[in-house]
Amino acid sequence: MNAPAWLEKQRDVARQTFDRLPLPTRRDVDWQRFDIRKLKLDKVAEPALTEKLSASPGNGVIFCDMATAIAKHSDIVKEYLGKGISPDEPNKFNALHVSRLNTGAFLYVPRDVKLTVPLEILYTLTGASGFPHTLVVIEPGAEATLVQKFTGGPTGDMSIHASGTEVFVKEGGHLHYISYQNFNPNVYDFTLKRAHVARDAEIDWVIGMFGASFQRYDIECVMEGEGGNSFMYGVGFAEHNQQFGQFTKQHHKVGNTTSDLLFKNVLRDSAVTNYSGTIKVEKNANGTNAYQSNKNLVLSDKVKCDTKPILEIESNQLRCTHGATVGRLEEQHLYYLRARGLPEEQAREVLLEAFLDPVLARIQVEDVYKEFSSLIHQKVIRK
Amino acid sequence: MSAPNTDILPGAYKEGFHDDIKPLHVVPKGATHEVIDYMCDVKKEPDWMRQFRHRSLDLFFKQDLPAWLPGLRDIDYNAITYYASPVEKSARKWEDVPEDIRKTYDKLGIAKEEQKLLGGLGAQIDSEMAYHNIQESLAKKGVVFLSCDDGIKEFPELFKEHFSKSIPPEDNKFAALNSAFWSGGSFVYIPKGVKCDVPLSVYFRINAEQFGQFERTLIIVDDDAFCHYVEGCSAPVYTTHSVHAAVVEIFVKNRARCRYTTIQNWSTDVYNLVTKRSMIDSKGVMEWVDGNLGSKRTVKYPSCYMIGEGAHGEVLSLASADKGMWQDAGAKMVFLADNCTGRINSKSISGHGGRSSYRGLVQVNPQAKNCRVQVNCDALILDDKSRSDTYPVMEIDGDLSTVEHEASVSNVSEEQLFYLTSRGIKKEDAVSMIVNGFIEPIVKELPMEFAVEINRLINLQMEGSVG
Repeated sequence: MNAPAWLEKQRDVARQTFDRLPLPTRRDVDWQRFDIRKLKLDKVAEPALTEKLSASPGNGVIFCDMATAIAKHSDIVKEYLGKGISPDEPNKFNALHVSRLNTGAFLYVPRDVKLTVPLEILYTLTGASGFPHTLVVIEPGAEATLVQKFTGGPTGDMSIHASGTEVFVKEGGHLHYISYQNFNPNVYDFTLKRAHVARDAEIDWVIGMFGASFQRYDIECVMEGEGGNSFMYGVGFAEHNQQFGQFTKQHHKVGNTTSDLLFKNVLRDSAVTNYSGTIKVEKNANGTNAYQSNKNLVLSDKVKCDTKPILEIESNQLRCTHGATVGRLEEQHLYYLRARGLPEEQAREVLLEAFLDPVLARIQVEDVYKEFSSLIHQKVIRK
Repeated sequence: MSAPNTDILPGAYKEGFHDDIKPLHVVPKGATHEVIDYMCDVKKEPDWMRQFRHRSLDLFFKQDLPAWLPGLRDIDYNAITYYASPVEKSARKWEDVPEDIRKTYDKLGIAKEEQKLLGGLGAQIDSEMAYHNIQESLAKKGVVFLSCDDGIKEFPELFKEHFSKSIPPEDNKFAALNSAFWSGGSFVYIPKGVKCDVPLSVYFRINAEQFGQFERTLIIVDDDAFCHYVEGCSAPVYTTHSVHAAVVEIFVKNRARCRYTTIQNWSTDVYNLVTKRSMIDSKGVMEWVDGNLGSKRTVKYPSCYMIGEGAHGEVLSLASADKGMWQDAGAKMVFLADNCTGRINSKSISGHGGRSSYRGLVQVNPQAKNCRVQVNCDALILDDKSRSDTYPVMEIDGDLSTVEHEASVSNVSEEQLFYLTSRGIKKEDAVSMIVNGFIEPIVKELPMEFAVEINRLINLQMEGSVG
């Protein structure tokens, strides 16, 4: 299939951006803790990734894979694709994935359509590389729940996954968004997710980070209309030599908007996590409420845990707070549970799961909640 | 010399005058090896120091500014005079200080407080210490309080053992610049077990235009001793820029305690680029009380390196950014030993288009177990022209430490204002009360005279902030 000219142009721009940008090294502030020298980007293998979508609910909703969307709904796709995440952003891995853009999914919910059944996308990496792009457009007054799951990856060889999720929630629209990755080891995952939130619109996010040997997530909300809300929740469980980078941005372009964020990580063995969260409040964005909290629980003395909560504030009528903690299991809590007859192992398990529960409690889809719980439980009771 | 630029802060900056003081030694503008040789000759310094200065200047040329530190590229290092000395040597009696310099200090109200309140007083003007004296009783106990230039001559071994050991010229560009051109500053030694209850105070004054002041302070507090060191600073208001790049090194030995208080009130044409670091030995306590109220741009992160078990470091930071200022202040806590604790408490106020940034680092290294550190930063923004940032970095290796960070940014809340105004307090006074309440936890740690001065300065900056 020949791609339309407008798409080919975007890929071109991305290709040039990719060529222009150097591979990040430890000298770059955001990459200090990570070693990605093993990555060979000059000869990336042919993409091998499948997408499996749940049935489209009808009612004017478009829910299909990206190839179909480009072929059949070119007019709508063209209007949004690349408008939230530009192909020339100074992000090498975003440029890589846009330059190969042809897999992924498209969700379009027309005005005032409220979907009660969650829609699901399952991405499975079957080869050495995959570059899916997800485009979501929630028209005014519409509401939907989207669940994205990333999995797979060949055992043995190293593979690269670079993806983007571009979201537009329009006036009064509402998106419940759940996304999690449980890639096999040896996958290097680079993901950028950005949501544009219009007047009185709302997005609530739950992000799960469990697999892959390296992952860098960039998760951003751009508050563009008054009355907009964004609630961002994330949970990460890093063990063995896993390296997780989590970069969040709450960008308040206009006032009377609210964003809240809670990211919780558990680190074990020789895991590395690097959380860096920015709240940016632009001039005259008065009436902004922005909160940010990053809490880390460390279970081994070999882990490296960094946290950087950043505030950049240019308005004065606002309330912004952030907090970050790094700590271990409280002896007192253990003692309390053991005094009630729980063996030490089990008491630790209970406390770990309790630590992560405030994030899990945000998942409104029961099956997905169960899946998160069981993924975490398996890691907790690792035998 | 250009006329004082008085409209930068009308009425508020009473230290903005300049006096015509004739320098005895002055060098051509620009950072050159010739200037270093000239300085070494005038100061009659040992050879190792001459070599150290030359090596530092090479390092200064080689080093780049870190990527995270914006807004300093427009400093023209060749337009600055690196050494100007109005005095031949630092006087021990106030009467021996040249009259024109005495006059300047009288206007600033420095000397008259000495007898009443201070254990020792130093006064630096431009490159050199004009005055340095200490109470008889402290001198008898072996307390040393000299200008750094006298320190190297009178205590060569002690000086060499500690000098540049915590801040080598390789550390950063401005530390290298200071290491190349340092002049003046204090050398303090508190012998074992001596508690120096009255503060030692130093006042730094830049009088010349387009000048670089590079004082160097070295404080050694030996086992079980205590010392409180207080510094203040000011400069005339010109239309051109001056640079103040100080280096302060403090060694807190076993079970000793040191408190270092700064009230920085440079005029808004001074770049204040200071490296301050303390090495804290076992069970030692270091407290930085850092007040930043002036300057065009301040870059200063007082640091505590916990190198002995059970050390404690504390930074209380207060920044007030008014029109034309960018206070880039913060703190660093580096844990290198077990059972250490640290606390950072930062309060900042931005108004009239000023910008204040908190930049902090908490680093727990793998060899440090069971450390605890707590960081609090609160910021108050008074109007929508101003800006406030928080850039904390926490790097934790290992599982046995607890790190907590909390920050908030807010304006003066309508509720609080309503409460006070409904009790008949004028709105302007109400804002002033709220701001003073906001900074109270830090102001109460200051010596009385400084606390009064801070409140006066804050109130001046607050004038007209209620629209």
